[in-house]
Amino acid sequence: MKQFLYLSAFLFCLVSCTTGPYSPLPELTAGTDGPFEENCATVFPQGKWQFSHAIDFVMGSKTGTPVIGVTSLDGKDIFCALVTVEGLTLFEANFHPNGGMDVKRAIPPFDSANFAAGLREDLRAIFEPPAGSMKAGRVGTMPVCRYIDEGVGIVDVLPDVDGCWQIKSYTPELKMNRSIIGQSCKKKGPSLIPDYLELKTYGQTGYTLKMTLITADNIK
Amino acid sequence: MKFQPLLNTLLLFIVLVSSCPAAVQEPIHIQSIQAGFVQEKHLKILARPLVSTGTFTFQAPGSLRWEYKTPVASVLLMYGGRIRKFVERDGQLVEDKGLGLDSMQVVLGQISSWLDGRFTDNDIFRVSEVDEHTVLLTPKDQALAGLISKIELKLADHKGILDGVIIYEGPESYTSMIFQNPVLNQDISAAVFTEK
Repeated sequence: MKQFLYLSAFLFCLVSCTTGPYSPLPELTAGTDGPFEENCATVFPQGKWQFSHAIDFVMGSKTGTPVIGVTSLDGKDIFCALVTVEGLTLFEANFHPNGGMDVKRAIPPFDSANFAAGLREDLRAIFEPPAGSMKAGRVGTMPVCRYIDEGVGIVDVLPDVDGCWQIKSYTPELKMNRSIIGQSCKKKGPSLIPDYLELKTYGQTGYTLKMTLITADNIK
Repeated sequence: MKFQPLLNTLLLFIVLVSSCPAAVQEPIHIQSIQAGFVQEKHLKILARPLVSTGTFTFQAPGSLRWEYKTPVASVLLMYGGRIRKFVERDGQLVEDKGLGLDSMQVVLGQISSWLDGRFTDNDIFRVSEVDEHTVLLTPKDQALAGLISKIELKLADHKGILDGVIIYEGPESYTSMIFQNPVLNQDISAAVFTEK
């Protein structure tokens, strides 16, 4: 029970993680000698996909009971369900591109608006290309696609880090508030699908989602 | 935050009915049962169901090992009135201390009546026979009814053993469990119920 309460607590704080030690936005240097844009596009699955992940929630020294997360992409909406190992659906919702959502089932403590909104932001960060204008360049030697959404934030997409990819999000004050690190990527069609994803938010209420891929199906 | 005890109750209930002689058969005494299972989670949006596999072992009067092997390993152990759950974390099984256990201990007290073949209405479910091979359970408790609308038990042709269970959350969301290779009334080491 406590694990789910921890999960609830930190998900409640998802949209308010605005304080704490952050990494600053690194300088982007010119260097567009490669197919950066095409490489960055491989980070985000295109077309219709169905993913399932085993998800561990970690907040501080506490780790929640693992759940199975199902994400279905149809090129427009993001469908998400959280299911216990025993098969009980905890949360089920459709997230629309215009920001709207249809929550079909939400069992306490997953029934708060903050939880759904936070989940939507995490899913969009993982599966959707960032909004804003894009600049290609390098951070150090790493190729980077930097998406600048005025007044909202900046997202760096690193399409080639140790054979996989990373995504780093920054506040309008240019401090990192979310990182997503993919590991053990496999190429499926035009997309690079990680066997393991680690999403971290930063600040006093920061948390980590450890997502181990179970299935990745490109739905024809 | 009441769903975990209810879930535990449901899990145990499934074990009990799967080890219980079917209502339409001549009761047979179950001292122990071991079986594998394949669980499929169906949602309207899923092109393919989520498939889990595992095994369970039950020994009267109240020892249980319910184990998921894939895709996420977890083990529920009941022995001597003590209930523990282990979950996979970073590749290892570690104890999940947050499990709500009170309701499980209450339900454990019902084991003997299930093993005696008293497969009728109880505090948790209303029981009705749909046909020769299907028994329908509907929750009495409103909190449980909010999670599960009904449960169908599929009875085997022989031995008085269940073929499977379908747990409906709603018209387009359900979980099926098919039991495989049941082994009855073998001696089982206590270690099966105490060691992860």
